[in-house]
Amino acid sequence: MNVRRVSAVVLKESREILRDPITVGVSLLMPLVMLFLFGYAISLDVRHAALGVWDGDATPASRELVEALTGNEYFRLTAHYGSLHDLEQSLQRSEADLVLVIPPGFAADLVRGARPEVQVLVDGTYSATALLVSGFARAIIAGYRQSGRPQLLHLETRVWYNPSLNSANYVVPGLYAVILLAFPPLLTALGIVREKETGTIQSIFASPLTAAEFITGKLVPYSLIAFLQMVMVIAVGYAWFGVPFEGSLPFLLAAGLIYVLCTVGIGLLVSTVTRTQLVAMLLALIVTLMPSFLFSGLLFPIFTMPELLQLYTNVFPGRYFVDISRGVALKGAGLEILGFEVALLALYTLAVFLLAVWRLKKKVA
Amino acid sequence: MSGEAIIEVQGLHRAFGRQPALAGLDLQVSRGEIFGVLGPDGAGKTTLMQCLAAILDPSEGACRVLGFDTVRQAAEVTSRIGYMSQGFTLYDRLSVDENLAFAAQIRGVPDSAFRDRRQRLLEMARLVHFGARRAGALSGGMRKKLSLCTNLIHEPPLLLLDELSLGVDPLSRRELWRMLRAFREQGTTVVLTTPYMDEAAYCDRLAFLHEGRLLAVDSPAGLRARAEGSVYRLRTAKTITTRERLDDAAEVIGVQWLPGQLVFQLAAGVPLPEPLRTALDGLGELQPVTAELEHAFVQLVGGGQERQGARQAAPVAKCTEQTAEAIAVTDLSVRFGDFTAVDRVSVSVAAGEVIGWLGPNGAGKTTLIRALCSLQRPSAGSARVAGQDIAHAPLALRQRIGYMSQRFSLYPDLTVAENLAFFAGAYGLRGEARRSAMAWAIEMTGLEGTESRWVGDLSGAQRQRLALACAVMHRPQVLFLDEPTSGVDPTSRQRFWELIQSLARGGMAVLVTTHYLEEASYCHRLGLMFQGRLIAIGTLAELQVEVGLAAGAEIEAIFMAYMARERSQPPGEAVA
Repeated sequence: MNVRRVSAVVLKESREILRDPITVGVSLLMPLVMLFLFGYAISLDVRHAALGVWDGDATPASRELVEALTGNEYFRLTAHYGSLHDLEQSLQRSEADLVLVIPPGFAADLVRGARPEVQVLVDGTYSATALLVSGFARAIIAGYRQSGRPQLLHLETRVWYNPSLNSANYVVPGLYAVILLAFPPLLTALGIVREKETGTIQSIFASPLTAAEFITGKLVPYSLIAFLQMVMVIAVGYAWFGVPFEGSLPFLLAAGLIYVLCTVGIGLLVSTVTRTQLVAMLLALIVTLMPSFLFSGLLFPIFTMPELLQLYTNVFPGRYFVDISRGVALKGAGLEILGFEVALLALYTLAVFLLAVWRLKKKVA
Repeated sequence: MSGEAIIEVQGLHRAFGRQPALAGLDLQVSRGEIFGVLGPDGAGKTTLMQCLAAILDPSEGACRVLGFDTVRQAAEVTSRIGYMSQGFTLYDRLSVDENLAFAAQIRGVPDSAFRDRRQRLLEMARLVHFGARRAGALSGGMRKKLSLCTNLIHEPPLLLLDELSLGVDPLSRRELWRMLRAFREQGTTVVLTTPYMDEAAYCDRLAFLHEGRLLAVDSPAGLRARAEGSVYRLRTAKTITTRERLDDAAEVIGVQWLPGQLVFQLAAGVPLPEPLRTALDGLGELQPVTAELEHAFVQLVGGGQERQGARQAAPVAKCTEQTAEAIAVTDLSVRFGDFTAVDRVSVSVAAGEVIGWLGPNGAGKTTLIRALCSLQRPSAGSARVAGQDIAHAPLALRQRIGYMSQRFSLYPDLTVAENLAFFAGAYGLRGEARRSAMAWAIEMTGLEGTESRWVGDLSGAQRQRLALACAVMHRPQVLFLDEPTSGVDPTSRQRFWELIQSLARGGMAVLVTTHYLEEASYCHRLGLMFQGRLIAIGTLAELQVEVGLAAGAEIEAIFMAYMARERSQPPGEAVA
C-alpha cells in the first residue's frame, strides 16, 4: 500500500462527499430520525392500561381494592359496569385491557377471614401486553390488605441492570447497532457504483492504484461519517432517552469504530458486485436493514429462535454489536467480558475488506 | 519513426457471451506515432482500447504493451500508460486543479514536477483561468481537454484515447490535436479511436476496424490512394434520374447525394464502364475527383449489404400541407438572466431545404432549436415554424415538426413495430392512418422484415433509420436532426442521407446540427453560430469564398476563419 496514493483517494473522496451537502445532511439526520421513531415506538412497557370494574359488592372494602389498582401509573379506571353484559361488550370493543369482577359478599368474606375470590379478565389479543398486565394486577391484588396477615413466604424480586424495567434502556442501545448497520452501507454502496456509472472507474483501473488502495481510500471517509453517526446516536440515547451508561465510553467508541468499518465495508462490497446505483441501494437494504431488525436480537431474543435461525444470526455483525452496546451501557461490561464479540467483529471486518478487494479486479469485464 | 514496437497485438479475440467484439486482430504500433483506429459504432474500438489498457483480458491471443503482457503484467502496463475512456472521466464535484492533483498523486508524480507540468498543460489547454472551477461546470470541449491533461500529467510514453472528439466542437478539437502533436514531438505514442473520417485524416497511420476485424492498416494517404481513380462527380439538377441510372450499374458501390451533385464510386480497379458513361451523358458535367478516406472504407467493405436496400429508390415523401417558407425567424433572442443564449437571430429556411447548423458547444444551437420546437419561450423576436407562430398553439406546431436526437430516443426493450406504434400514438395517429403511416415509415427506411425484432438487437445503422422513421411518420413539414449520422459506417451514412434528400424533395425542411464535414457537406446551406449570434450563413462554397479559403477547405478551417473574424470580443467559452 502506497500511503500517498491512498491519501489521494481519501482526499478526493472527502471533497466529493463534502460538496454534496444534501447527502451528508441526510446521512447524518436519518439515523437520528430512526432513533427517535424507534426509541419511542418500540415500547415493551405497559402504562395506564384501561381497567373496567364490575363491583357486585359495592362496599368500602371493594372500593378500596379498586383504589389499590388505580392508585399507581399502571392502570386507569375507564368504566364501572352496570351489568355483566356491558362488561362483555366493553372487552369486545377493546375499551378495556382488563376487567376486575368483584362478586357480592366480598367484604363479608374478608370480615369472616375467609379468602374472598375476585376475577380478572384480560384481553389476550396482544399476548405480551396481556401477560404484563395480568402480572401487575396479580401482584397488586395479592398485596392488598396483606399487611395485617401473617406471611408464609416472602419473595423479594430485584431486577438488575435495568432496575426500572424501562424498555427504552433495552431498545435504544440495541438501536445503535441496527442504525449503524442500516445507514452507513446505504451511503457507501453508491461509492464505487457511481464511478462505474460515470466511467471514472476505468481511469482508476488504468492507473497504478491497486484495488486495496482504492478500497481503503473509499473506506476512510465513509467510516468517518459512520463514526460521526455513531457518536450522535449514542449522545442522543444518553442525553434524551436517559439510557444509563455504566461502562467505559472509550471502549464503546473503539468497538464501535471496528463495527462501522465493518458495516461500511459491507456497503463497499455491495458496491463492487453491482453495476447500477439503484441495484446497489436495494441490495444494501436487503443485506443490512431488513435482517438487522429480525436477527440482531434487538426485538426478539436470539435464544428463543429455532436453532437453525440462531446459527443464521451469526452472519449478521449487528448481533455482536447489540451485545456489546447493551453490555457496555447497561452492565458496564468491558473487554474482559465482550472480548470475544469484539474479536469476531474485527475478523468480520477483515474478511469483508479482503472480499471487496478480491471482487474489485481492475478489469471492466 | 524508430520502428520500435510499442504495441504488439497478436491474434486478439474478445467475445462477450457468444457475441464476438474482436475477431482475430494483428497490429503493431511504433514509438512516436499517432495511430488512429477508425470504425463505426459497434466495430470493436472500445474493446480494443480496453484490451490495450490492460483493463480487459482477451478471450484469445495476446497484447504486449510497452513490452509487457496485458494479462500477466497488467500492473506494469497500467502504472505507465495514460488512458482516456469514452465519455467524461472527470470528477464533476472536484475543481480543475483538484482533478489534476488527484491524477498526479495516484500516479506518483513528485510535487515539484507537478507544479511545472500543471502550468504547462493548463496553458496548452487554455484552462489556466479555470483552475478553481468545478469540472461539472465546464463545457464539453473544456472537459475533454482537462481529461487529456489528467492523462498527460505523468508524461506517459503511451496515450490511449477512446473517442477523443465525441461531442467536442471544432475549436476545442483543434486544441486537443495541438496538444497531441506537441507530446508526439517528445516521443509520446498516441493511439486513438474515432468514428470520424475528417479526424482520422490527421493520424500518421490508420487502422480501419469493421465488425471486429481490421480491414486495412496504412497511412491516410496510402488508404486514399487505394480508391484513387474510382470516384466521380456529376453536377446535375436531375438528381433522381441520375440516381436511377447509377442504381442500374452493378459497378457502382457507393453514392453520395450532395446538393446539386452526386458523387459515386466504382469497385476497385474498375474503369468507368462505357454504358454508364453513355447513360449519364447529357445529365450534367461528369468529372473524376480525389478519393477521400470514406471511399477507401466503402471500397474495403465492398459496398456491402446496405446497398441492397438502397437500390429500392426510397419513395418520395409528400408533406400533407406545404408552406413555402418552412422556418422564418426574426430577431429571435433567448436570455437566461444576464446570459444571452440566442442573440437576435434571423433566418429563413425554404420548404425542401436541408440546412446545417454549426457552432461550438454552448453557442446557442440547442437553445435555438428548443425555441423553434416551442419548448423554450423566446425573450424577444418572433418565429414561424411550418406556418405556425411559435408563441401560439404549441400543440399544433408539434404536430408539424419532427425531432431526432443524437442519442436516438427509442425503447430498446420494445420491438421495431411497437416503437413505431408508440410514436404513432404520441402523434395522435389512429386506426387506418396509423397503419398506413407505420407501413410507409418502414418501407421508406428499408426496415421491412425487422418489425418483430427487439430494438436492442438492431445494428447502429438500423436503429438510426428507425429513429428517423419514428421522427417522420406523421409527415412533419420541418425535421430537426442532431448529429444524425455520427458513429455509423460510411455506407450507412450515404444511405441515411439519401433518405433525408428524398424527404427534402418531398417538401420537408430539414435542420441538422453537426460538428462534422461529413454531414455538413450534404446540406444545401450552412449556418454558423457563435456566442448566440448567427455569424454566417450560405452554401459551403459561399462560406469558403467569403473568408478566402480554397474550395474543399474543411469545416474546421472555415469555422476558425469566421471565429477569427469575430474575435473583436474575447472568446470566453460559455457553459453548455
